[in-house]
Amino acid sequence: MTRRAPVMTHVFLLVGGVAWLYPFLWTLGSSLKSTDEFFGRGLDPLPGTPLWSNYAQAWQGASFGQYFLNTLTITVATVLITLLVTAMAGYTLARTEFPGKGLVLVAVAATVFLPHGYTIIPIFDIMDGLGLLNSLWSIIIVQSAGGIVFGTFLFMGYFRAIDRALEDAARVDGANFHQVFWRIMLPLAGPMLATVGLFTAISAWNSFFIPLVFTLARPELRTLGVGMYAFIGENSTDWTLLCAGSVITLAPIIAIFLVLQRFFVNGLAGAVKQ
Amino acid sequence: MTDVRLAARPRALSTGTVSGLWRRIAAARWSYLYVLPMLVLLLAFVIYPIIASLGYTFYRWDGIGEPGDFVGLANFSRVMTDGIFWGALRNTFFYVLLVVPIQLVLALALALVLNNRRLRLRTFYRTLFFLPVVTSAAVVGVVVQLLFSNFGDVVNDVLMSLGLTHEYIDWLGDPNFAMIIIIGVGIWHTLGYNLVYFLAGLQTIPDELYEAARLDGAGAFACFRHITVPLLRSVGVVIVLLSVIGSFQVFDLVQVLTNGGPYFATEVVNSYIYHLAFGGFSGSSVDRDVGLASAASFFYGLLLIVFAVVQALFLRALVRRRGGRA
Repeated sequence: MTRRAPVMTHVFLLVGGVAWLYPFLWTLGSSLKSTDEFFGRGLDPLPGTPLWSNYAQAWQGASFGQYFLNTLTITVATVLITLLVTAMAGYTLARTEFPGKGLVLVAVAATVFLPHGYTIIPIFDIMDGLGLLNSLWSIIIVQSAGGIVFGTFLFMGYFRAIDRALEDAARVDGANFHQVFWRIMLPLAGPMLATVGLFTAISAWNSFFIPLVFTLARPELRTLGVGMYAFIGENSTDWTLLCAGSVITLAPIIAIFLVLQRFFVNGLAGAVKQ
Repeated sequence: MTDVRLAARPRALSTGTVSGLWRRIAAARWSYLYVLPMLVLLLAFVIYPIIASLGYTFYRWDGIGEPGDFVGLANFSRVMTDGIFWGALRNTFFYVLLVVPIQLVLALALALVLNNRRLRLRTFYRTLFFLPVVTSAAVVGVVVQLLFSNFGDVVNDVLMSLGLTHEYIDWLGDPNFAMIIIIGVGIWHTLGYNLVYFLAGLQTIPDELYEAARLDGAGAFACFRHITVPLLRSVGVVIVLLSVIGSFQVFDLVQVLTNGGPYFATEVVNSYIYHLAFGGFSGSSVDRDVGLASAASFFYGLLLIVFAVVQALFLRALVRRRGGRA
């Protein structure tokens, strides 16, 4: 498998790759078409004369600006909460002993094996009880809770592998519990923070079901995904605006992924190798 | 904090176990504080809802107000006898049975091509094929719907000129083709996961094995058959399991592309449960019934666990038997 790849391999991969991403290229091109061009040019992804006003119209007229802000708020808050909660729990479960620890570990592991019923209804009731139904907080909290088992497991594995001598040395120097975690261990967990953060960001940005349920009665809280879905139902003919909305939804997460992809890919690869 | 526990133990013996336990708890107070936020989220939004939704299965309830109409296990027997549920289950299995094998074969083939260390731009190619994974299924559904509803006729023209069909196909409005489109998009959307998994598996195989085999005169196929396949088996089992479990959860694509229609032709179990709980069955007016939705969800959850365990045992047995022979 170490022979030099023939030119045909590259041709195959390039043509295949472009065809693979054709739906995205077509969406990008069509977001700059006029309605006439949209039908005239059909499956040709290139616009004749780029019409940038589609974006302004989608952003303001079709509320995609509001949806973008909602999605961004939810994603940033969910990532911060998930990282904080799972890093703290993962560290404590990996490196400290306390009565009841076994019980906590069982509770975490059990959620993987229990059959999940239709849990969205009781979750909805709790949010109603907390008076959070009319804010983005309901979505943020539910999204954060959804990722904690996965994140806690990843941080537990990561902290368990760090040399104990570092912690012991810090304790000898008089560092207390908090200083050991915040000043020594957390800064060492950079790659895992990036991995869990990126997984959480992608799942929060792309989440559909949870924001769909929590915004059924509150259109102004919609995320981009839910906004797109609602847009088809309400203005089913504004195709070019819908394409602009798609680009607004897809571009940021693709950009973040391209910058941080090695953390994502390494995280996935680590998951199957274990 | 093992040191703290060890230090506390001798004193615990002399003053009684209760105060000893208290001392250990007090000594570990920061551990509790650090685990607490995770535990609160877990109990309130993961474990409690699982238990509470089990409670709903005993009521006939439209989701408004408090559940009051106790029906015992009737919801479970209703699920068992509901034709729409079985249809949705059949559609889900159809989806999984087509998506998983096709996706795995394509991903493995692509991984074998990209695993060549001498291939330039391999990271770039991997990124190209991986990219759909990071995009939202809902938006992908919108784009695909846009393409087919406006330009499906372009495909029809091609098919007709080739003599493959004699009438225009209403792609997403046709019960058979709608499901095929969902399956095709499903394969495309998550293939990248399996590509990365297979690449990770392939990289655990040492190059020396291939070199030695080649010196012995083994061709590319022999290398694949006698080195790659046996050594990829244990990672392969995990990949198959993950792929099956993921495919059974299909929802977003169906909801956005067809809403389960036409006439329940693409209704999968998760969209069936959603429609029961929140209304909006495509082309029919079935009343909301949260009790029935919860019962269906539990039944499906149990089914999947049984299925996963059986599959894991079966695959493990397969690996062990083949491994012993090779």
